[in-house]
Amino acid sequence: MSDRLAALLRPAALGTLAGLVVLAALPFYLTDFWLLTGLFAMAAALGAIGLNLLSGTTGQLSLGHSFFLAVGAYGYIWFAGDDGRSGTHDVTGLGLPTPIALVAAVLLAGVMGGLFSPISGRLRGMYLGVATLALVFIGEHVMNNATTVTGGYNGRAAEPMTFFGFTLTDREPHLEVLGIEFGAYERLWYLALVLLVVGVVVARNLLRGRPGRALGAVRDSEIAAAVMGVPVARYRSAAFVVSSMYAGLAGVLLALVFGRVIPDYFGLALSIDYLAMIVIGGLGSVGGAVAGAAFVTVLPQLFAHYAGALPLVTATGTDGIGPQEASRYLYGAAIVLVLLFSPGGLAGLARRTAAPRRRAAGHGATSRPRTKEPQGADT
Amino acid sequence: MKPGSGTRAVCAVLAALALTVTACSTKDDKKDDGGGANPSAPGSPGGKVKTGPGVTDTEIHIGELSDLSGPYAPLGKSVTNAEQLYFDQINAAGGICGRKVVMDVKDHGYDAQKARTAYTEISGKVVGISQMVGSAIVTQLQDDIERDGLLTLPQAWASTLLGKKVIQVTATTYDVEIINGFEYLARTAPLASGDKVGHIYTDDEFGANSALGVKYAAQAAGVSVVDQKIKPTDQDMTAAVTALKSAGVKAIIVSASPRQVGPVMVVTESAGFKVPVLSHSVGFHPQLLAVAAAPMEARLAITSPVPAISSTDLPAVAKLGSDYLAKFPGSSLDQGVMSGYAAAGIFGEDLKAACAAGDLTREGLVAAHRKQTGMDLGLGLKLDFSSNAKPPSYQTFILKVDKSKPGGLVTVEPAHEVPGAKSYTLPKTG
Amino acid sequence: MTKLSEIALNGLALGSVYALIALGFVVIFKASGVMNFAHASLLLLGGYVIARFHDELGFAGAVVVGVLATAAAAGVIEVLFIRGLGKVELHVLTILTIGVDILLTTELVRRIGSDKLSLGDPWGTDAAHIGDVYVAEARIAAIVVAVVLIGVFFIAFRFTSWGLSMRAASEDREAAALMGVRMKRVQLIAWCVAGGLAAVAAVFLTAAPTPGLDRTTGLVALKAFPAAVLGGMDSALGALIGSLLVGLTEALAAGYQSELDAFGGDVSSVAPYVVMILVLLVRPTGLLGSKELSRV
Repeated sequence: MSDRLAALLRPAALGTLAGLVVLAALPFYLTDFWLLTGLFAMAAALGAIGLNLLSGTTGQLSLGHSFFLAVGAYGYIWFAGDDGRSGTHDVTGLGLPTPIALVAAVLLAGVMGGLFSPISGRLRGMYLGVATLALVFIGEHVMNNATTVTGGYNGRAAEPMTFFGFTLTDREPHLEVLGIEFGAYERLWYLALVLLVVGVVVARNLLRGRPGRALGAVRDSEIAAAVMGVPVARYRSAAFVVSSMYAGLAGVLLALVFGRVIPDYFGLALSIDYLAMIVIGGLGSVGGAVAGAAFVTVLPQLFAHYAGALPLVTATGTDGIGPQEASRYLYGAAIVLVLLFSPGGLAGLARRTAAPRRRAAGHGATSRPRTKEPQGADT
Repeated sequence: MKPGSGTRAVCAVLAALALTVTACSTKDDKKDDGGGANPSAPGSPGGKVKTGPGVTDTEIHIGELSDLSGPYAPLGKSVTNAEQLYFDQINAAGGICGRKVVMDVKDHGYDAQKARTAYTEISGKVVGISQMVGSAIVTQLQDDIERDGLLTLPQAWASTLLGKKVIQVTATTYDVEIINGFEYLARTAPLASGDKVGHIYTDDEFGANSALGVKYAAQAAGVSVVDQKIKPTDQDMTAAVTALKSAGVKAIIVSASPRQVGPVMVVTESAGFKVPVLSHSVGFHPQLLAVAAAPMEARLAITSPVPAISSTDLPAVAKLGSDYLAKFPGSSLDQGVMSGYAAAGIFGEDLKAACAAGDLTREGLVAAHRKQTGMDLGLGLKLDFSSNAKPPSYQTFILKVDKSKPGGLVTVEPAHEVPGAKSYTLPKTG
Repeated sequence: MTKLSEIALNGLALGSVYALIALGFVVIFKASGVMNFAHASLLLLGGYVIARFHDELGFAGAVVVGVLATAAAAGVIEVLFIRGLGKVELHVLTILTIGVDILLTTELVRRIGSDKLSLGDPWGTDAAHIGDVYVAEARIAAIVVAVVLIGVFFIAFRFTSWGLSMRAASEDREAAALMGVRMKRVQLIAWCVAGGLAAVAAVFLTAAPTPGLDRTTGLVALKAFPAAVLGGMDSALGALIGSLLVGLTEALAAGYQSELDAFGGDVSSVAPYVVMILVLLVRPTGLLGSKELSRV
């Protein structure tokens, strides 16, 4: 008992706790614009953790992550939705309770990841990368044509999440907490936060345990891993399934945040954004994926929001370098510079700056062994 | 680690939490943020006008959700410029209700996520949205737009955008537009009962909506349609044209962007398949003249909800052309300029009407808008906004290409509607 | 029959343009072991330079300048970004090229804006006809130029010392270096060659019957991905075969879409990927790709 209390009182744990408190308090301070940006960042973080398990830890390059996001989003919409009409199309749905639809959508994404295993199990390196690219294009085509599920080009509204009559929308029931009106974004914030915490904990446990070591071994050398008794093919497809489930969960969250999902969103650019997140954050690191997701999601918003105050950046709609362009430059430059100068990404950077300090403070020996997972980029 | 430090840190965290909860937030009540929520005091410039979010004593803020960096950037740029021109002229003449009109432009780059955050950012601060580029963006946001009661003018004309109280398609919808155009094509090609006509259309909202019109008009004329669906990103029209050629079509309708209309003209010319081609005004861009002037002048007709910018018989249009070039030298006078100016004009007239009615709130603006039954922007047709289930006009112009004219187009037939247009049933949206 | 031959011929023409791009992928992959995502922006750069200079230098002169400029840009990318990293994981390099692509594309798109630029090519709307079959002259030129360039490439690959070095390098980079192959130079040349090919491809992608260069032209490079992969990433001949297959598939799927209605109309952009997946299921390293070596 006292051990557990001591563990809770460790600086790292306290830092995490403080971070969570701050995150939990944010809806009381942030305007809708920043709440929404934060929600997108949290959804992206979940997706990025998944991709990181696949590409960072196992070394399987995937350009098809947006496809699995789409499966999650439309899966949720279909499971939770009712038969009816969306735009000019008749749509169908199972009308399941929304929490069940969420779980079902995540499982569906996992199944789709599993169905891809005949391909993912056979292909290596770039071949796999380009094969997953096919998922994006085929997915786009299917989304536009499977109108009874997706509603076609105009997309389809997502049923708001409901827990025992409490909906995560602006109404029903009206909710004010300490004088702050709790609308859809405030309510969704806590759902997202819970999902993100669960996602991070699960991923960390996966990586610290036997599966994480096995996946790392598969990345470093399949033959060596096989010699050591790791069932390579099984681990490779398992990584794909788990990664797809994370993407699916991110997709569900996105559907809830958007309220209405359109197929155009899930293009190649989105897949590339996710790759950029895990690279900028640091391949193989869960914390890095979260940081990378925040970086990639929040950066363009910062530019759009503070365009007027930035040097060299002109206001939207005038000539010169607009805020969107400026954020594209910075985005591209961030990828290139991170890879050139800190191949471990933000996680590697944090580790490097944290390590000497910890040693100096004399905590090095007593603190928990460093997590096993963030070795990806260092090797 | 000293035993006490952890406890102290816990206390600090708890204290922070307590502070968080009790001191509570500087956050504004979201429903009122931005803009003065109070009715203007008597004697202020606006007199006794009821105002809400987006309207202060000196300024009226309107939102523009444009695409300035994505696939629709050419349209977004022209529309934004044209709206800027219109409101600058309004402001120079004293503004509306004694207030200056301020445009709050946001670039979403045709990205759903950026569009949603941009919408959330401006929705509390504006009285309405006078430009929203991208059909999919509009539908993605439509539930929020309706909830917030923001009068919104999309730069997209699919009839699936009809039926919303606050979202206003600014002109004839694509399906009606092409029904009118089809009559011209049938009359001039000419098409007889039993003939075939090819329809190349993009696999998106625009193409699908236009296809409804083509099917209706063709059926009425006893003409059969050979469909060729393409992706909005396709540029190579060879296979599509070859398929239509071997099917023996007498004319081609293209419901696509200039990126595809240009190649269709060139490929049909190369293949010796010189049939008449009909397209929408969004399918033409003056820059196509550099690559396909001759075939377009010979064979392309455009059905358009606005007249050609070169129309000399309409003083407002002629003035727009010269003012625009004076303000944005070197820009091309494409149809985006016309439709941007028209949208700004509608919004400006609505604001004036709302001012006259003494209610510049969002609800007041929407109410004033729905009372407009004969709005004349000097574009050669009248707009009726009283019904949200119908387009504001069933009339379109027929334009042809003339590279010597500003904007590359001339009006050959003034605004008119064909007898069958009104009996066409608009698609039912749910 | 006319329809089929016309579509097939145009598909082959399209395929031969893809081949110029896919060959660039293969050359870079053999030399540096990376899939170059920056190719899309190199293509756009080539087109942009040609469009800017054709008024002053004439079409031929502009093409020369464009090819040289793009080759130089590709070389700079190699020197600045790829060389320094040396031995890192494959997808780290790949993602790096995505970063470079974002930078270069953003700048080019900003310059091009909403314009459609003509490259001043001499073909216009002229067409040649063989019997009943019409083919745009630009397309015939595309086939001829692609065949000539690819032929030159094959000869160079077989008979020059650079080609020998390339072949040695793609077999085993370290062994080649030990045997005295100057890897740096071999890689640099490979990138320059790929850049030059991309510029030539840009000419034919934007010449009639397409309406000139615009900000999205670079995206066509994506279509050469399945081509290069289904042929085999390290096989030049595979890239050629793969490209022709992709071009043909695309044209046939577009031309015969009424027969493919059950799949939702226009499948031309999806069909190449389906073909690629089917090939990869049978041959995981493409039609002619060599099996990946396993190192322990």
